[in-house]
Amino acid sequence: MAKEPKIIEDKATPIKREWEEYARKGNWTVKGYEMVRALSGPGKAEECKEEDFMVIYRPHGVLYHHSYGLVSKFFKGLIEKHLFGTKCPKCKTVYCPPRVHCWNPKCRVGETEWMELPLTGKVHTFSVMLFSADAFLEMLPFVLGYVQIDGAHTALPIQVMTAPTDVFIGQKVRIRFRGKRKGDLMDIYAVPAKGQTMPENSCLHEYERNLEDLNRDLENTYAFLDKRFGIKKAQVERRWKAK
Amino acid sequence: MNDRRVAILGGGLYRPGRVRYDNAEEGVAMAYKNMLEDFPKLDPREIEFVQSSYFSDHLNQQLCMSWIVQDYIGQHRKGGYRVEAGGSTPLDAIINAYFLIRSGQFDLVLVLGWEWMSEVDTATTNEFIASASDTDWDFTVGGFYNGYYAALETRHMQLYGETIEDLGKLAVRNRNNAVHNPFSQWRAEHGTGYVGLDDYYKDRIIAWPYRRWNCALISEGACCLLMGSEKMAKRLTSNPMWIAGVGLGSDSMRPGDRLVDWAYHGVYKADERLYPANVEKPKTPYPEMANFGFAREAAKQAYAQAGIRDPLKELDVAELFAPYDGVELCLYEDLMFCPRGEGKTLIRQGVVERGGKLPCQLSGGLTAFTHPVGATSLLQTLFLHWQLAGLVRKKLGDATLQVKNAKKAITTGHGGTGCQGGVIIYSKD
Ligand SMILES: [Zn+2]
Repeated sequence: MAKEPKIIEDKATPIKREWEEYARKGNWTVKGYEMVRALSGPGKAEECKEEDFMVIYRPHGVLYHHSYGLVSKFFKGLIEKHLFGTKCPKCKTVYCPPRVHCWNPKCRVGETEWMELPLTGKVHTFSVMLFSADAFLEMLPFVLGYVQIDGAHTALPIQVMTAPTDVFIGQKVRIRFRGKRKGDLMDIYAVPAKGQTMPENSCLHEYERNLEDLNRDLENTYAFLDKRFGIKKAQVERRWKAK
Repeated sequence: MNDRRVAILGGGLYRPGRVRYDNAEEGVAMAYKNMLEDFPKLDPREIEFVQSSYFSDHLNQQLCMSWIVQDYIGQHRKGGYRVEAGGSTPLDAIINAYFLIRSGQFDLVLVLGWEWMSEVDTATTNEFIASASDTDWDFTVGGFYNGYYAALETRHMQLYGETIEDLGKLAVRNRNNAVHNPFSQWRAEHGTGYVGLDDYYKDRIIAWPYRRWNCALISEGACCLLMGSEKMAKRLTSNPMWIAGVGLGSDSMRPGDRLVDWAYHGVYKADERLYPANVEKPKTPYPEMANFGFAREAAKQAYAQAGIRDPLKELDVAELFAPYDGVELCLYEDLMFCPRGEGKTLIRQGVVERGGKLPCQLSGGLTAFTHPVGATSLLQTLFLHWQLAGLVRKKLGDATLQVKNAKKAITTGHGGTGCQGGVIIYSKD
């Protein structure tokens, strides 16, 4: 008989308990409705006529259990403050994000080997985020970076904790672990290594207008954070000033 | 390959909006009814197969929506299925219908495309769409597609020197085209006045280097196309648009993995060499995180079938799948309209403007016309059909967007961050 799977560490019972309630709340059943008078029809707006529509409100929430599979070691590593990658013994490619099987066609899905990576890297590319989905709104503004860890050939998406107007491609960074870690890429972030000078050709900094406009909309974002969550600009700036 | 030819015979649409209250099957039915008006000789029972195209099950709390839609319009009994590949969904649906007809299996196929994207709030819509990215890796850090695409554009900008002004010109052009398209969301929401670069600069940055105007719309809308063999084209229409070539390609799921992209490594040597000396080269320099390899792969196949050697010279009009303006600029390079790094030049020289050598996004594109995902490439294809058939004035009530004597057109589609996609070349003859 095959061996039964066995839970060997349990950090999930509280959320499983909490979620039972949502299941009982009657997902998929109608909880309210509105009557809406709106344009109907396929043509140009000026040709459409109004109809009355009944619009229902129907919730849907779920709790997934999802295995990280054979790269579980990477995520358990984050919790234990280690950064792991994998290396193909045949073509020597170093993967971070790790792959358990090499994707080089020449290696014919050969198994890779785990290795610990240094907590340093550089910004391959980035975006300054001034809008995101609900779960991330309170984190705004943030820099989404694709960071190439030293020794790895691929880039890892992580946040770069820096003044949004200071980030540049090629910026050297150090990887830090958050105090509370849950087993995903938000457990780590990057901070700029000290003593770097801004290269002259940085695409964000090359034109004055870029920074002026970014600063203008950063202010708009701070105003939004204050209004929606009562978060002050000084509090936000402390996130990177303290690093 | 056999010599069966396949044509777009015509189509119909249900005007997309940010929120529409007719529901999806009703919207598709109205688009279908709109199409039938152009085909008085067609008995709907003659349609042999229904190819459905829609992207998300999450957005509407409904699996297998194509079954609802197919029966709603009375097209059940015959075969039908959906294809799904994120943003590439509608392009893949057209290509699949092309294969079905080309193979000899069917002579007449109906393609139905739709998306109803506003049943959840905007942030949740973005979140559901972002679950098409790798949810263990890219999704987690909160960038979502705005962020991923913005990061790709930052990289291209650093390597090849396009500016915010170049991206702004595309945003402005899309709006100034869309005001002549009465089916566009821009016109429905903003009227018919032109905008300029100054207006663009005032627009909010949401993910640098992108402002709201640079990003695809959220939409509810539908479109359908009737596709057929030569026999059907002869019988049903006087202005078929032929499929002259198709191509498909793909790249890695996670864009960060493209720094060592073994499947592409050494394949496009000329592009690998066109790399600035002052930026550190990743192991695989093309497409890396700057260009779209899937598009190069797909274009090569499509051009070879269509006999196209110099696309910029031979193509007359383009409707590209550009959910972000930087994507369009990069696609010029990957589709070989110009060498790598010269995308900005086509913008600066006005090549891609209305009246330019190769006008792109005359419909207003995904950022000013519409982007109901499962219908998008169908709408762009229908728009190209109007161009090649000389029907722009009739359909839009305004001839401003009509390209004179247009004979060859290109459209593209892709999903994810260019994870998968394709190219279709259409021809009047
Ligand atoms: Zn290998």
